[in-house]
Amino acid sequence: MKITDACVYPYPIGDSSHRRMALEAKALGFERLVAADTPSGEFYGIEIFAGILLRDSPLRDITGRIKRVRNNGVVVSVHAGDNGFNRSVINIKGVHILRGLHSADKSAFDHVAAKMAADNRVAIDLDLSQLLFGRGYSRQRAIQRYRDILVLERRYEFPLTLSSHARSILDLRPVREITGLCSLIGMDSSDVETAFSGVDITTAPPNSAVKVIG
Amino acid sequence: MSTRPPTLRMKRRYLLILIEPAGIIIDQKGLYYAVSEAATSLWGDAVAAIIIPAVVASDGQYVIIRCQRGTEQDLSVALSTITTCCDTHITLRMIAASGTIDTLREKIRRIKKPGGESLSLRDCMFDKKLFKIDQCVGQKIDVIEKGFKNTNRLFLTTEDLEEL
Repeated sequence: MKITDACVYPYPIGDSSHRRMALEAKALGFERLVAADTPSGEFYGIEIFAGILLRDSPLRDITGRIKRVRNNGVVVSVHAGDNGFNRSVINIKGVHILRGLHSADKSAFDHVAAKMAADNRVAIDLDLSQLLFGRGYSRQRAIQRYRDILVLERRYEFPLTLSSHARSILDLRPVREITGLCSLIGMDSSDVETAFSGVDITTAPPNSAVKVIG
Repeated sequence: MSTRPPTLRMKRRYLLILIEPAGIIIDQKGLYYAVSEAATSLWGDAVAAIIIPAVVASDGQYVIIRCQRGTEQDLSVALSTITTCCDTHITLRMIAASGTIDTLREKIRRIKKPGGESLSLRDCMFDKKLFKIDQCVGQKIDVIEKGFKNTNRLFLTTEDLEEL
């Protein structure tokens, strides 16, 4: 289980090269990054997974895009929409992470979607940039929404991921500070440790229903 | 007013903080306002009044921030929410905590490395654009785009420049 930041944006989206991001992430205690629009590889001892984020796309386009990148080792994330959209996305084979629930409708992620996420091993992302950059109402709303997600997570045990959405090395935070930040939403250190390894759970090959012995 | 005896004084802790990116000079007063705003915004007035954050010393990139003993964790979480100071994008990295300023000053002396290497002030090309190397420490290279406008700062490594 590797400590993973589930979403960073290196150059050209951000202002830091993927190598520099890896160098800084290593110093801050990470072992893996999921980077948007970056080829997979290992740099300075940090594993980088290529990731794509699909947003504002109809389901048909999402399915088509996932078919093209399936089995390429790409981490596929979809930005959340309304409840019906989220339930459909969770059911699509090949989707790894559902993001942006802090900005979605309040009823966008309910107990039915939570159970489906647990069954299909789709991770729900907690975007830490909302806690770092937000002030006032926007941060309060994110904390409230994340606490609500954690209630469902404790009941249905779907995977969680933590992501900084860093566009610069200046937006990355040490693992210790992220643990402190997550205490705001009621996560203890073991919860944070599990959430850091959420990418491992969601990208692991599924266990076969039948095991052949001998 | 005479000073209180040591047993009646408020117990304090001091945090050693590194300001990134390298080479940015931040006004101590501006940083105090940023720290105070971050603590109040995150924890509210009541807890900020218990933390009592204050910037007590600075030495180049390093600053020492004071808080009440037992509130270091709360202050470090609040410090992690600081993203800008005096309209400059910065980040604060906590390096150490101690009960005395002298210990942290000694630590600064030990970890402080000599400034930029010889690559500093040289020009380089990256992604078909011309940049000036601003800072170069180890494998880390900070460059600033040359020109009159859109002079962005990029964070690269030596390998990024060798690749071209």
